[in-house]
Amino acid sequence: MENIVEELQRPVRLDDSFERRLMVRVRRLHAERRKRRGWLGAAMSIAQRPAWATALAAGLVAVVTFGVIRVRQGEHVVAANGLEPVNFVLVAPAAKSVKVVGDFNNWGLNDSALVATNNQGVWSVTAPVKAGVHRYAFVVNDKQWVADPRAPRSAGDDFGMPSSALVVEDSTK
Amino acid sequence: MLGLVSMESSDAELVQRVLQGDVNAYGSLVSRYRDRYARYAVHMLGNREDAEEALQDAFTRAYRSLSRCEEPERFGAWLFRILVNRCRTSGARRVRRSQTFVHDEGALLNASQEHPAEQTAWREEIERALGELSADQREAFLLKYVEELGYEEMSEITGVGVSALKMRVMRACDRLRILLKEVHSG
Repeated sequence: MENIVEELQRPVRLDDSFERRLMVRVRRLHAERRKRRGWLGAAMSIAQRPAWATALAAGLVAVVTFGVIRVRQGEHVVAANGLEPVNFVLVAPAAKSVKVVGDFNNWGLNDSALVATNNQGVWSVTAPVKAGVHRYAFVVNDKQWVADPRAPRSAGDDFGMPSSALVVEDSTK
Repeated sequence: MLGLVSMESSDAELVQRVLQGDVNAYGSLVSRYRDRYARYAVHMLGNREDAEEALQDAFTRAYRSLSRCEEPERFGAWLFRILVNRCRTSGARRVRRSQTFVHDEGALLNASQEHPAEQTAWREEIERALGELSADQREAFLLKYVEELGYEEMSEITGVGVSALKMRVMRACDRLRILLKEVHSG
């Protein structure tokens, strides 16, 4: 058995073309990512223009529903430290659990995912999110990634998973 | 100079640089792990072409999801897990090719100068015997003996229980002994 293992442990060397081909793919991904960030930046600047931002946001951009919390809870939520309350909602009657992950909570790593509560199949959670452009997704039953059906998809699936674009406006400006 | 600095950087430092937009830092990670993990892929899939494809795919997936690498200092282990899964998918999708030559110029040069033909034949016999194992047994054997992982780590990578892995390794060893004995006695 030692002879077998010794033979199998000999190094296998790849030629240089392997790395060249791979880095072409990686650079292409990098360029796509930069391009996408540019698109999201444009979306933010458009959404922040007050004259037509609301109308555009309704149809094009994931809307941050600041008003929902005030109406539902009958209390005012004051933005602080650049954080804005965002209400995430997903209608999923058959789901057993729904969480929200995004770049604002490090994609749920280290148990940072937002846990939504169920109200007759309507899952929701409100959390403070920093003003800016974000990507996020719902995780249903701890395994199925779902993009927000009410929001535009983030261009490309950055991590091989569906995600949505989110623009959070700074209410203090 | 830049290359030398990169080679001395830790995985965590390189990952951080990549996340900040430095693509060249990812090249350093590729250089660091490509040959090491090529060995596993070649032995697991049985031919260089499929192995290179699996490795390309694993590196690409790792790049795309790098921000989800929870322990950047253990990038290598994280990448290896992706590769093991990728090899499983590839192995399930393709029929292992009938001829499995792990042609490695470097290894051939290191082979016995007195009996290079015998060395090559022995290598091919081993590869052929490895190909006779089930994918599960081959995976467990390679992880245990060639990659020299502990059972706990193997379990973490494969999602298979320790006792089941021990059984697979034992059966793989038994089968290899029989197959290679048959070759020699034949």
